[in-house]
Amino acid sequence: MSLEELFKEIIIEHYQHPKNQGHLEHPDAKSDGSNPLCGDEIAMELRFDGDRVKDVMFTGNGCSISQSAASLITEAIKGKTVEETKKIMGEYRNMLAGKEYDAELLGDLEALSDVKKYPARVKCASLSVAVLDQALQQKK
Amino acid sequence: MDIERIRKDFPVLSRMVRDKKLVYLDNAATTQKPSVVIEAIADLYRNYNANVHRGVYLLAEESTQAYEDSREAVRRFINANSTKEIVFTRNATEALNLIAYTWAEANIKAGDEIIVSIMEHHSNYVPWFRLARRKGAVIKIVPSRMDGELDMDAYKSMLSDKTRLVGIVHMSNVFGTINPVKEIVSLAHKKGAVVVVDGAQSAPHMKIDVRDIDCDFFALSGHKMLGPTGIGALYAKESYLESMDPFLSGGEMILKVTLDSVVYNELPWKFEAGTPNYEGAIGLKAAIEYLEALGMDTVETYERELTAYALEKMKTVPDIFIYGPLNAAKKGGILAFNIKGVHSHDIGTILDSEGIAIRAGHHCAQPLMIDCGVSAMARASFYFYNTKQEIDLLVAALKKAKEIFGHVA
Ligand SMILES: Cc1ncc(COP(=O)(O)O)c(C=O)c1O
Repeated sequence: MSLEELFKEIIIEHYQHPKNQGHLEHPDAKSDGSNPLCGDEIAMELRFDGDRVKDVMFTGNGCSISQSAASLITEAIKGKTVEETKKIMGEYRNMLAGKEYDAELLGDLEALSDVKKYPARVKCASLSVAVLDQALQQKK
Repeated sequence: MDIERIRKDFPVLSRMVRDKKLVYLDNAATTQKPSVVIEAIADLYRNYNANVHRGVYLLAEESTQAYEDSREAVRRFINANSTKEIVFTRNATEALNLIAYTWAEANIKAGDEIIVSIMEHHSNYVPWFRLARRKGAVIKIVPSRMDGELDMDAYKSMLSDKTRLVGIVHMSNVFGTINPVKEIVSLAHKKGAVVVVDGAQSAPHMKIDVRDIDCDFFALSGHKMLGPTGIGALYAKESYLESMDPFLSGGEMILKVTLDSVVYNELPWKFEAGTPNYEGAIGLKAAIEYLEALGMDTVETYERELTAYALEKMKTVPDIFIYGPLNAAKKGGILAFNIKGVHSHDIGTILDSEGIAIRAGHHCAQPLMIDCGVSAMARASFYFYNTKQEIDLLVAALKKAKEIFGHVA
């Protein structure tokens, strides 16, 4: 295990300069969550256009893994259909669980694949998808 | 102190972690165990295991004797008057809850005031918070000063004839601050308030004299002072224990039961319902004897030197902020810190890759985190088996963490 695998440049880049950070004007759905043990916090806001995630923004604070994951995952799902979004989230969860996953579908999110070697940190990486799950349930 | 010889007493300290030698700096969470403790427990199970206070046979006599000898060891260690004043619990948390559900439940009324400090561990805050909610009592919080010490002026101004109970942590598990408990107690007693001292962090690291402190209650955890987990103790002045109703009930805590009456057991067994953790108590006795052989003054002096060294060296880490007193004379070996641009979890993971174990998170002291304006801190905490070389390794690893995350403005 090497630290360079975990803290890849792209992760540090997204941690220090997160994409899609902030609030939406009129979100159709929003949700938040935290890891009580470590204090990581993520809140997501979504706007839909028909079946599509038209826009998504997050706010939060916490470690590099939780915050870069939020940045990367919002990038990955923006403009995708809800169906595709769920597929990406499923593959991402597979990756963190050490199962087979569709690397092509995940794109940059694959940067977080080494988190699975650090069991204590998997919760940090999965916080965003847990929050997204709740938000997607609000879609009528 | 011959540290190299001492370290050999702790088998786990020679373990390799991720191909590096373990550097264990999470002693405020729990301490490692010397062979004498591990062996005392094995000896019980190999040679004389029997339930205590029950059997009429030799093994039971031996196990009961060992259990009660441990109570005497705790009494001696904190200089209580009598073993009647030492109640075994699972840990400090249970000791504090015991007070909340017995003495405080019977004596705190609506409008009464409870004073605690901002530095409390959740275990010396949540029981009082819940009690106050149940009773309609008021909680007042003593703030800390900028230098990480307790604001005694604020404390004095909060004390009033309404104050019924003061809960105070002896040594903060975040700031490391050693609070002036003797003065706190004497001021509270003048107002007729009782004082509960949370000694979970102080008992392992300094000489405790509950008679000199004159506190009414004192809680400690065995696992933080070389003992096994699952054993702790409550010290309470005998007069309080006499007047208090039992906490849990069942076997062991009664003298006589008929279908319509019960007679409670004598002190301290009145407060020890069910088969106690005699294994834990026997381990704790071995731990106390180990500490006594070293000498608590020696432990304290050595740890102070280590803390002063760590404070000096850690200052050289770029963008580090150390919480709590920066004067080693005012604190124990607990250093909470953050490094700008590197979250404490990331620090924890990077240090782990070097074999260094520290804690990251809110340290069960969320009110204090909020007060400091952060959600998490990293914390290194020492015991007498740590060395200056280990602190050098810590500092080098912290610098590495800072490098990985670059120098952000
Ligand atoms: C100051 C303080 N009080 C109380 C406790 C609770 O100890 P335990 O979890 O052993 O009950 C701790 C443990 O972290 C502590 O540091």
